[in-house]
Amino acid sequence: MDGNGEKHGNAHEGGIIEVKNLTKRFGAKLVLDNISLSIEKGKTTVVIGPSGCGKTVLIKHFIVLVRPSEGRVCFEGRRVDNLGERELSKVRTHFGYLFQEGALFDSMTVAENIVFPIRQNYKVKNWDEVDDIVKAKLAMVGLDGFQNHYPARLSGGQRKRVALARAIALNPEVILYDEPTTGLDPIRADIINELILKLERELGVTTVVVTHDMKSAYKVADRIIMLHNGKIIADGDADHIRNHPHPVVQQFIDGHVGEDDLAVLRMTGSAGSAQFLPRDFEQ
Amino acid sequence: MMIAALGAKTIHDVINAGHFGRFAWRSVVTAARSCASRRTYPLVWNQMNLIGVRSVPVIMITGAFVGMTLAVQAYDQLAGMGLEEHLGTLINISVVKELGPVLAAVMLAGRIGGALTAELGTMNVTEQIDAVRSMGTDPIRYLVAPRFLACLLLTPVLIIYADLLGVVGGALVSFLQFHINSRAYWDLSAYGVDFWDIAVGVVKGFFFGGAIAVISCYKGFTCEEGAHGVGQACTDAFVASFISILALDFALAVISKNLYAIFWPLKSLVG
Repeated sequence: MDGNGEKHGNAHEGGIIEVKNLTKRFGAKLVLDNISLSIEKGKTTVVIGPSGCGKTVLIKHFIVLVRPSEGRVCFEGRRVDNLGERELSKVRTHFGYLFQEGALFDSMTVAENIVFPIRQNYKVKNWDEVDDIVKAKLAMVGLDGFQNHYPARLSGGQRKRVALARAIALNPEVILYDEPTTGLDPIRADIINELILKLERELGVTTVVVTHDMKSAYKVADRIIMLHNGKIIADGDADHIRNHPHPVVQQFIDGHVGEDDLAVLRMTGSAGSAQFLPRDFEQ
Repeated sequence: MMIAALGAKTIHDVINAGHFGRFAWRSVVTAARSCASRRTYPLVWNQMNLIGVRSVPVIMITGAFVGMTLAVQAYDQLAGMGLEEHLGTLINISVVKELGPVLAAVMLAGRIGGALTAELGTMNVTEQIDAVRSMGTDPIRYLVAPRFLACLLLTPVLIIYADLLGVVGGALVSFLQFHINSRAYWDLSAYGVDFWDIAVGVVKGFFFGGAIAVISCYKGFTCEEGAHGVGQACTDAFVASFISILALDFALAVISKNLYAIFWPLKSLVG
């Protein structure tokens, strides 16, 4: 046992990303509580958990967009959480990060968004070659031909695919996906799932996906980690999670409301008292 | 209870001041390094267009009204003493040394500072700044340094525009409304306004421009989520810039006065 309640946390020692005794507080609020885990190279790890449980904060630690309150983060055996911004910039080029809402630069076209990391990290001399790279990256996500569109003119699914094309622009070794299917209809969500699998297969990247979409998790995961109250309460493959004895895990994967949640709803009063008519406050 | 709250607020403010100091230092150092990098030039050029060129009309209007208003306000006092031909000296020294730089900077704090904070604040809440960092780019280098350099370089230039229009506006009102002898007006102005006075006003522009840029960018980078957060950050940026302009103006006035006394110790006696 590793202190997080699951044996599997130690089963992946020596991974590409390692987190040791990670604790994160925002003011008095404890978001991550002494988490230790290792992300295995070339595999897809999915982090699940209810909204607000610290999933996004956890993967933001992997590229040190957030610094830990306690503990350490290592990439390829090297501690990175204590590096300065200049050194971190080099480390971050090994990662691709798909943000929840895409985080595309709305003042730039699709092509300019994808060129951005290339232009910032390399001295480009042959722009024809860069155009070919943009075309290839967009083709990978099925959006070749959208080079001159602005993000505001794209649908939610298209924006995420463009953001994914931008995330893989520097040929990263690790791709981090933050809620990649949230806000998409089931078909668009499945397109994103297929893209995650395709990129893992074709580029051989290490993948970490944060989601609360269990269908997506089962489809793409080699390993699933569940966070609850800032701790890892389950860690294993899809079958391990399906048959996990922890009631919170079962409640989450079944999507049932717990008795505690229902009790809160009952305590907030009947529907009748929440309704009002203008005469109630116009007298 | 009250003492605890006061203590907590003080600690919070001290921490914020520390964060701002670190941000300002990193911005200045990164901007200095960026000057040596050709990749920064197009970004600075673009910001110079947005910040500088588009501010010219509003700055010229500000300057013109400052000069015209000074003429109207000061004429009666000077005419009462028979010194109306000194109106040009009073207007021009006030415009180039004090009112032109300060009012132009306040106008820029509203026009540019608000826009910078809103733009960077929106980028912050939509995770675009995190996206810049995640792609191996320092957001201070990419987002702050070009804006800082553009403000630093163009605020003095915009102050020269404000000064020019202030001088012209004051002169027009003096000649057309009060029929002051133009030759006496310009001769006395030339005698009363030194190159030093103009230089002090223009040099203030570097400090005002730098302060506006750093404060506005910091407020954008640290703004809270939502439309209210961005709006509040814009308001805070303007208020902080405004107070900084006034404080810097006072500090620079003291420094320039002492420098003047060191370089030309007898001039004030002779003059």
